[in-house]
Amino acid sequence: MPQYKGWAGKILRVNLSSGSISTEKTAKYKDYIGGMGIGYRIMWNEVPENTDPFDEENKIIFAAGPLTGTGAPCTARTNITSLLPANPQNLIGDSHMGGHFSPEMKYAGYDAIVIEGKAPRPVWLKIEDGNVSLEDATKLWGQGIFDTTANVAGMMGKEAQVAAIGQAGENQVNLSTIMTSGNHSAGGHGGIMGSKNLKAIGIIGTQSVEYASDKKEWIELNEFVMSIIGANNQHVVPSTPQPWAEFHDSSSRWTAQEGLYWGAADEEVETGICPPEDTNKIGYRTMKAIKDLGAISEDYTVRMGGCQSCPIRCHSSVEVPELEKYGVSRYVSNTCMGFWNHYYVNQNAESEMDNFLNKTLGAQLADDYGLWFNYGQLGRDLKYAYDNGILKEVLPAEEYNDIPWDLYEKGDPQFLVDLYKRIAYQEGEISHLGDGAAQLAKRWNFGEDYWNDQTNSLWSPLGYPVHHANESNGQVGSLINLIFNRDPMCHSHQNFIGSGLPIKLQKEIASEIWGSEDAIDVPANYTPMNLAKARFAKWSLVRNVLHDSMTVCNWMFPLATSPLKERNYRGDTTLEAQYFSKATGMNVSEEELDEMGRRILTLHRAMTVKQMGEVDMRNEHDQIVDWVFDMDPDKEPFDPGTIKMDRDDMEKAKTMLYQELGWDPKTGAPTAETLDELGMQDVKRELANKNLLPYQA
Amino acid sequence: MTKDNEEENFMQRPTTRREFLKKSFEGAAGAAVSFSILNLFTDSAEAKGFELADGIVIVDPVKCTGCRRCETNCTAFNDGKAHPYISRIKVGQNYNFGKSGPTINYQNGNGHLGDFTIIGETCRQCESPRCINACPMDAIHVDEKTGARVINKDKCVGCGRCAVACPYDVPTVDPETEKSTKCTLCEGEPACAAGCPTGAIRYIAWEDVEHVLIERENLIENN
Repeated sequence: MPQYKGWAGKILRVNLSSGSISTEKTAKYKDYIGGMGIGYRIMWNEVPENTDPFDEENKIIFAAGPLTGTGAPCTARTNITSLLPANPQNLIGDSHMGGHFSPEMKYAGYDAIVIEGKAPRPVWLKIEDGNVSLEDATKLWGQGIFDTTANVAGMMGKEAQVAAIGQAGENQVNLSTIMTSGNHSAGGHGGIMGSKNLKAIGIIGTQSVEYASDKKEWIELNEFVMSIIGANNQHVVPSTPQPWAEFHDSSSRWTAQEGLYWGAADEEVETGICPPEDTNKIGYRTMKAIKDLGAISEDYTVRMGGCQSCPIRCHSSVEVPELEKYGVSRYVSNTCMGFWNHYYVNQNAESEMDNFLNKTLGAQLADDYGLWFNYGQLGRDLKYAYDNGILKEVLPAEEYNDIPWDLYEKGDPQFLVDLYKRIAYQEGEISHLGDGAAQLAKRWNFGEDYWNDQTNSLWSPLGYPVHHANESNGQVGSLINLIFNRDPMCHSHQNFIGSGLPIKLQKEIASEIWGSEDAIDVPANYTPMNLAKARFAKWSLVRNVLHDSMTVCNWMFPLATSPLKERNYRGDTTLEAQYFSKATGMNVSEEELDEMGRRILTLHRAMTVKQMGEVDMRNEHDQIVDWVFDMDPDKEPFDPGTIKMDRDDMEKAKTMLYQELGWDPKTGAPTAETLDELGMQDVKRELANKNLLPYQA
Repeated sequence: MTKDNEEENFMQRPTTRREFLKKSFEGAAGAAVSFSILNLFTDSAEAKGFELADGIVIVDPVKCTGCRRCETNCTAFNDGKAHPYISRIKVGQNYNFGKSGPTINYQNGNGHLGDFTIIGETCRQCESPRCINACPMDAIHVDEKTGARVINKDKCVGCGRCAVACPYDVPTVDPETEKSTKCTLCEGEPACAAGCPTGAIRYIAWEDVEHVLIERENLIENN
């Protein structure tokens, strides 16, 4: 891509079956930007429907976009695309990780790495700029992720960035991760690497990533972002009253305050007062440990951490000497569900200390084995099966009696040591907890009550749980939870409604972006579906896939709000387009870039249609389990105090979203006209040949 | 895996690529430096001294969270591109495993896969800089405004002798321009410090340098 900057310009292809290593130009994928867009384009072109995820014919694509490596804030995400083993129909999906991996990939000269085939024996992929080789991984096979990372760095050089699988991935556990830099995990595709006998990828890059704009403009844009960025999830008000702040909201992740410390740092580090204009304190704003691990964690906190290029430090790095008695390192780092997953597995712990140890020990074990928890679902599945006596029925007596259920009853952290090993090594019937919810429910014959009990938190018959759905602005979050083939890794809407600003201000800003204040409701005081909500849902989805393609963190962007009173708390939704234009030199407006996002989202939809062999997405894919409509039996939908949804209203919501996206309002499948409009004639032809366009059948 | 195997794997190449190249170069040139005799702090070669710089940039290993914004801010200001490999402040190379690289006991060593201590390396603007003394082209001079030891790109031929000579591994030959790079103090307002989200990077006046460096070494030694 000689005329454009931002992109590295090359894609690395490694065929593990033949051992061939080649490159191709990124230019042919530029309409799909990078990251997720490249991943979907390659999967669409090259992996036939009905391929099993663990077949040699499946591919896995590690990809970044033109912003990654540039130093633009929050741009170190790695997007991984392949078939999803944990999806009951093995539909395509992405997993994502932060860290330092994709910037290093760009500095080595690649926008993406495409892995094909299957190695005859365990290998790892060594990338030093243009020197790429497959190395013997016999000695690494069987090791956890931490030792694998250290070994690969030992062989390459300490600055190597490594992505690896643990025993769970090797054993092709459906719920397994690919992990980089100790605690950045991409959930769902570990087993794909395992099936290909690929243990790790190590990268050292010594090249630059260039941007098209002159350096003054580039630096000014970065400085502008630093001036309007908030805390994690773009929360723009503090959690406690602060001298600089007009508003505060206890749920905000801007937790910095006087008297709150990184309590285990080698020197005294107080998070303190962090006014927005002090950009040298942005990294203290989000003291995340107390959010994820409770007040007890303050004294254990060494520092916050996170990804390359990101001023928001959302990972908590804690030192917990008590963990050594469980045989793991005392140093643990993670964030959000990386800790909470283990609370859901071991829910019976009563003391704050045991909960703290469960979360930190669980994180350490899971990150080494490379286990994924399906956004907390694995633990809820265990609880359901245990509480309903199902485990006693499905597990052989000998196995059942071998599992320390007394520890489970007490919520003793030691239980995790026993359970996680069984899942990672696929030992016994209990290990099917790692299959994914839909497969597990079928295998263990869970009843309808499993799906329909709100406390199990399932959202879709495809076996994924609620991830900012009906509790997040009603129909908007609900729609966002329908479209993907796993839990939606979409925070666009959540960041906006969680900013902490008063609802009046939120509504004003919503009106400016989506045309009406009706785009958002007062929490749990919902109104029926309307056009502005459809626009909000579309915008959230489109920005989400744009971010996964550019690649930008959707846990921060879009910056629709800001902490600045002088801006009347407005953010700037043109930033993505400004960055894209300045990085690549391909000048696009906000609207044009959003259209590129719609193209990528539409390709995702087309791929799902092709894989399912089904046009009727509305009834065969975009389904919601019953509790969402039947909860709170004494309340009606739209009553104050409930997040209960209405079935007819939700069908109307689907229609309106489909229309906004240019998809068939009846089936939710991409139409011939839209595919033409988006320049996807080849996709249209292939769907037409397979009788998979709306109105054809 | 046996312990012997582990040791073999861990210790194969515990240095960065740049350090590796440098050591190869040293061998070839027969000009190996005995690092053990070097002062821990700002280094002095035997040869002539220069007027001191106004100060130096130092990273606090307790406050640094490893975001590496400093690296891309450095090269944005100095080079107009994003290029951590040539950044005059180096955080990435020690990010995962500290200065020593992955050892058998990496989980208790420095770095993000260890005890979380991140050790950023910076130029000490040495009183008698080895980089200047090593340069065969007389291409490194003292900046009039800040006293920083800076590279004259017109004179530099990219031989890499400054990179070899520096005990802190700061000068780096840009593989894209074939010119060496080193800390310029950014005309007195170092971009790395200005953009650090935790204020971990400070531009410290010369009279305070010694005690700050001693504190820093103690923090690293203690870990």
